[in-house]
Amino acid sequence: MKAIDRHPPRSEEPIWWSLFGAGGSWFAMFTPITVLLLGVLVPLGLLSPDYLNYERVHAFASSWVGTLLILGSIILPLWHAMHRIHHGTHDLKMRLGLAGKVACYGFATLASLLSLWLIMLL
Amino acid sequence: MSARKPYIRPVTAGWWLKKAPYRRYMLREATVLPLTFFSLCLLAGLWALTRGPVAWAGWLDFMAQPLVIGLNLLALVGSLFHAATFFLMMPQVMPVKVRGQRLPAMQVAAAQWAITLGISLFCLLVFVFWEGV
Repeated sequence: MKAIDRHPPRSEEPIWWSLFGAGGSWFAMFTPITVLLLGVLVPLGLLSPDYLNYERVHAFASSWVGTLLILGSIILPLWHAMHRIHHGTHDLKMRLGLAGKVACYGFATLASLLSLWLIMLL
Repeated sequence: MSARKPYIRPVTAGWWLKKAPYRRYMLREATVLPLTFFSLCLLAGLWALTRGPVAWAGWLDFMAQPLVIGLNLLALVGSLFHAATFFLMMPQVMPVKVRGQRLPAMQVAAAQWAITLGISLFCLLVFVFWEGV
């Protein structure tokens, strides 16, 4: 019988799981109104395109409220989605192993860094 | 080596097609696909915003493509379906107790729907009345 390991290596799962949870809350609480306004009502012409006038959106994105809302809307749901896709490939019996995890979380990392960099360019 | 030869039931990639709750689970998981699309749309919009008014107008045209509107409608429906399941799951992940008593899942979900409504109103007001901070 093997002795019990009293000091196992710490799991890195809490990092992914917190991002998954935060992203899940954002997806549930912020995404419905965001996608309704930006993805449905304005594109369908049910709301005036003036709301998305370049100068207005640029000024909004440069404010701290806008920066937080935009970064939250891009980064958090992507971490949530990549976590579910990572585990979804397992559910679908695709044996991707570590490569799948690196691809999913790597993609979320790249998109996060890219949006941080873009918002600083404004 | 153990002499056991346990029977391992084979699981195929289509296991989730067999029962309604499994199919609902996979549908819930699949809500992240249109969500990913919408998040990448926003990322593209942010990129367009850094490029100038011409790129921004191009992004607005892209968002008005019928296929893009269709995918974003799916993202909207998906976000509501996800919210309904996520809010009910929450007390299982993090029990909410008031005076030592566990709150019923329905009450916890109702509170979260109320928060969602408040956030939606806030975003709507920002969208309509924002004039700079």
